[in-house]
Amino acid sequence: MTPPDKDSAEPLPIWFFVGLILTVYGLLVLGTGIVGGPGNTVLAGTRPALWWGAVMTVAGGVFIGIGWRSHRSS
Amino acid sequence: MHAITLAPVDWLIIALYFVAIIGIGLYLRRFTNTGEDFFLAGRRNSSWVAGLAFLSANLGALEILGWTGGTMKYGMAVAHFYWVGAVPAMLFLGLYMMPFYYSSRIHSVPGYLSLRFDERTRLLNAVSFALMTLLMSGINLYLMALVFRTILGWNWNVSMWASAVAIASYITLGGLMSAIFTEIVQFFLIWFGLFLVSILGTIEVGGLHNVMRGLPDAMSRLWATTGSPADNAMHVSWLGLVMGLGFVLSFGYWTTDFLVVQRAFSSKDLRAARLTPITASFFKMALPFIVVAAGLVAFQLARNPASGFRLLEHPNHPGELWYDTALPMLIARYYPPGLVGLGITALLAGFMAGQAGNVSAFNTVWTYDIYKAVIRKDASDEHLVWMGRVATVVGILLSMGTAYVAMQFNTIMDYIQAIFSWVNAPLFATMMLGMFWKRATSTGAFVGLISGMVTSFSIFVGFKFDAIPPALARVLTFTAQPSDMSRNLWQATWGWLVCFAVTLLVSLATEPKTDVELQGLVKGLTAEVDDTGSSLWRRPAFWATLALLMVVGLNVYFW
Repeated sequence: MTPPDKDSAEPLPIWFFVGLILTVYGLLVLGTGIVGGPGNTVLAGTRPALWWGAVMTVAGGVFIGIGWRSHRSS
Repeated sequence: MHAITLAPVDWLIIALYFVAIIGIGLYLRRFTNTGEDFFLAGRRNSSWVAGLAFLSANLGALEILGWTGGTMKYGMAVAHFYWVGAVPAMLFLGLYMMPFYYSSRIHSVPGYLSLRFDERTRLLNAVSFALMTLLMSGINLYLMALVFRTILGWNWNVSMWASAVAIASYITLGGLMSAIFTEIVQFFLIWFGLFLVSILGTIEVGGLHNVMRGLPDAMSRLWATTGSPADNAMHVSWLGLVMGLGFVLSFGYWTTDFLVVQRAFSSKDLRAARLTPITASFFKMALPFIVVAAGLVAFQLARNPASGFRLLEHPNHPGELWYDTALPMLIARYYPPGLVGLGITALLAGFMAGQAGNVSAFNTVWTYDIYKAVIRKDASDEHLVWMGRVATVVGILLSMGTAYVAMQFNTIMDYIQAIFSWVNAPLFATMMLGMFWKRATSTGAFVGLISGMVTSFSIFVGFKFDAIPPALARVLTFTAQPSDMSRNLWQATWGWLVCFAVTLLVSLATEPKTDVELQGLVKGLTAEVDDTGSSLWRRPAFWATLALLMVVGLNVYFW
């Protein structure tokens, strides 16, 4: 096996992967909340998929930013 | 009809999780070349990364499901397992023990025992740890399949094999770094996937004051009802809690169990290693806000028949409620499609990360402390990496075997609660004397550790088969008819005490190692960490003090 080259000697920070997963999941939950309507669960009127999906998407974006910044500075 | 049905978007979310973790393993494969890369994640992690992994390796879905259900039975007292049974020990590890572990550049906890004492103690601990890890891993796998079969109707074999193959793939590819990456992803999935249950539950019951409303004192106080075992739902006295849980079991687990300590070894320097358990302690402190809050919501809903909330029956014990289903039933109650997939993925991730933690610790102990120490002493670094990969696959297969055994013989579950008191509690005495008393000898450590393990195991067997008369039970546990919890705490305490006393006495009668041999391994012969020159916020002691003040505050508030 060949050793990794100098540019790729350090893996991308974990925060980048966390951000990616939270963003994708956040968008899926948010999208389902928009398309699927409130549904028939208890407290469906509070539309948890909408605001929780949005919270996750924003958190995911923040983590991608942190990961990207940390990768550039390393 | 099962408790939870999945929509296509939920399946998509679950499938994406598998894609993500195997993708991470494939990506990290190119950074995993040497033994240090595979077994210690290249020693390049910050305290944040190592700290979250440290916490997540311990935080399995079993803990979350078990303690949410446990809160329905024991109330607030479950928080003892976090605020007394974890945080103080984590801070002690970071402040006082990590310098000896990290500075000796070892690969594992048994590796420290080899340097400080000799090969006998190392092998005893390595073999008992490896067996414990495989047993825990197998039972974890079995319970995962049981939970998913009960709430979702998933096939036993499919859920066990799918998760086992995924774990084997990404650990074989990226070693400890893969395990750490997925543990951190799991940490965030658990918070984002499950904290919403507590939020929605609190909204439904009408706010935080209603969550606590009408709870009996035995369930709503932490310490006020521990004067006598009869006054609290756990049937444990304050002495049993402080000695058994707060000291012996907690310190035994958090400071010596390689499964968690291994994460700190992956840190980039000593300061990061010391901060690893201290960083983790803040998040450990916060976990009751998921498990206890959700458990109390479930308790309030269950006692109001109009709510329509009820637990499922235990599949192995017909007629008995299965408290572990409290959290899944709350997910079914509140989560619409999309969020259901997220909640199930959080549970799945919790199971798999716990499993991966066991497997990555097992492959290291097997490779360095059994294979290289006994079977092939001259093995090259490249060969050890190969062996680590083989051990990963074999470890997973042995776990599967244990899981199938557990499926046939449910009584094996009775042993899981006690296993830490046989292995970790006595080991903590060995470690304490080894690190803080240079007179402790190799023979003392070996004889003491065996004595402690045998004592703890014998008390367990004695109670299990009703061979302990009430008079002796009163001496051992301060009550004639101890609860399972009380027995567990006291057998750990006795195991620790016997190990401590025997190690001490035998050491005084045998020859110690010289000061030169003990450099860097014992207090007094190791350079003290002096960080007085660095700013306050960079000092581990500052963060540990803050964590301690917070945890004392929580105990006082819920006294």
